Amino acid sequence: MSEFEPKIIAFLCNWCTYVAADAAGVSRFVQKPNVRAIRVNCSGMVDPSYIVKAFASGADGVLVGGCWPGDCHYISGNIKAMRRAPLLKKLLGEMGVEDLRFRLKWIAASEPSQYAKTINEMTEEIRKLGPFSRKKKSATRSVA
Amino acid sequence: MSRPEQKKKLAIYTATGCRACEQGILDLNYEVNELGRFADPVFWPYVLGTPWEALSEGKVDVALFAGTIRTEADRQAALKLRESSELLVAVGACAAFGGLPGLANLADATEAKAGETTGSSSADGEGKPTLPRAEPQGLCLSQVVAVDYVVPGCPPTQNLLWAAVLALVCRGESPARLSYAAGRLPEAVAEAIAAGVLPRRGTTFAGEKAVCGSCSRIKEEKKFGICKRPYQEYQETGRCLLEQGLICQGVATQEGCGGICTGVGVPCRGCFGKAPAIFDPGAKMVGAISSTFDSKDAKEIAALVENFVDLAGTFYRYSLPSQCSLLATPDKG
Repeated sequence: MSEFEPKIIAFLCNWCTYVAADAAGVSRFVQKPNVRAIRVNCSGMVDPSYIVKAFASGADGVLVGGCWPGDCHYISGNIKAMRRAPLLKKLLGEMGVEDLRFRLKWIAASEPSQYAKTINEMTEEIRKLGPFSRKKKSATRSVA
Repeated sequence: MSRPEQKKKLAIYTATGCRACEQGILDLNYEVNELGRFADPVFWPYVLGTPWEALSEGKVDVALFAGTIRTEADRQAALKLRESSELLVAVGACAAFGGLPGLANLADATEAKAGETTGSSSADGEGKPTLPRAEPQGLCLSQVVAVDYVVPGCPPTQNLLWAAVLALVCRGESPARLSYAAGRLPEAVAEAIAAGVLPRRGTTFAGEKAVCGSCSRIKEEKKFGICKRPYQEYQETGRCLLEQGLICQGVATQEGCGGICTGVGVPCRGCFGKAPAIFDPGAKMVGAISSTFDSKDAKEIAALVENFVDLAGTFYRYSLPSQCSLLATPDKG
């Protein structure tokens, strides 16, 4: 019973990934119970501060789920999310947050199996990494 | 001339830092002479060579403390000054937020331990002074002792520093002096001073908005197509520096400086710390820069991100120990 259970915060877009998550439950796909879902209107409204705050408040992983490029309900919100992710990943990496802990995934409303697969994979990979601790500093920082 | 017994006792000290804040006090030009009329600097090792024993002769009214707490000696100094002074003021980005020496916290904790063993707190047999033992982390003053007021900046701008000194040291002095101080401070602080009372404890002598609020540059549509560093050539068109691809941290930084750096084309480096409404300056800067990347292609964006170097050292340049939420902050004491 002492096995580490990762806490994953998932910011899910109201129009695609949240519907997929809902459908995954209705379809009775087996899912790990480690995800705390937060419904947002669009993946484009997930400010980097939310993600940083999630890690600072004790999350072990953060998933941002949005519509596939071109499918955004608000036309280009998911493109904004796509622009932010690489730079945020770089900052998180410098602060000792491993690459696998933060993910941006496109999951359409019609892909509940994909949603279940994503969170199952993510939970297992973060379980292997162990809990995220703010004190732990890794040497991933590169100075050019 | 006021009588000597009315003079406020003043202590000025720098822990780990460059002493530019103390130099800033001297740079007050004519006003520094004025300072001598209503304050008596009973403890100022940098300028007067005062020994620590001077502090044992009664309580000091105002202590201006600059510099990061980086060594055991710094911690002792902070404790001593807190104990012996009525008001303790953190002056400059180092004392206020941790400052540049605080960037050492990015290094692995094991490296800090290695440094710890090389230092010793007493002089060796040959009478050579040795370095004091390093603390495991660089800290800002408020992480070690309770701080009454904060004057940020690297160093604090002359106007602000003089206004803060007037407000805190020169209480009950002439109304003209007080109005000078009040004109340079945020409204709430200014009102308190004008009413003859001290501002609320914990007040930061800076504005309430972000630096962009007082920056005179023309802001047009933001499109980040290239990342430039300050030494690289750019066109001085009077446009917002962030729009031109320079990493200007005005969006995430507390106002109060009057936008003097951006006014002459130098990107804001964030020496006033984060603006009150911002959760984490690094995350804010990532948001401000990356959501305006001028591309829709994942590969192009990845290539653009490659241009950015040392994000943590840039975004938390002055504030890593106290304002970076991804870094665990130690408890007081």
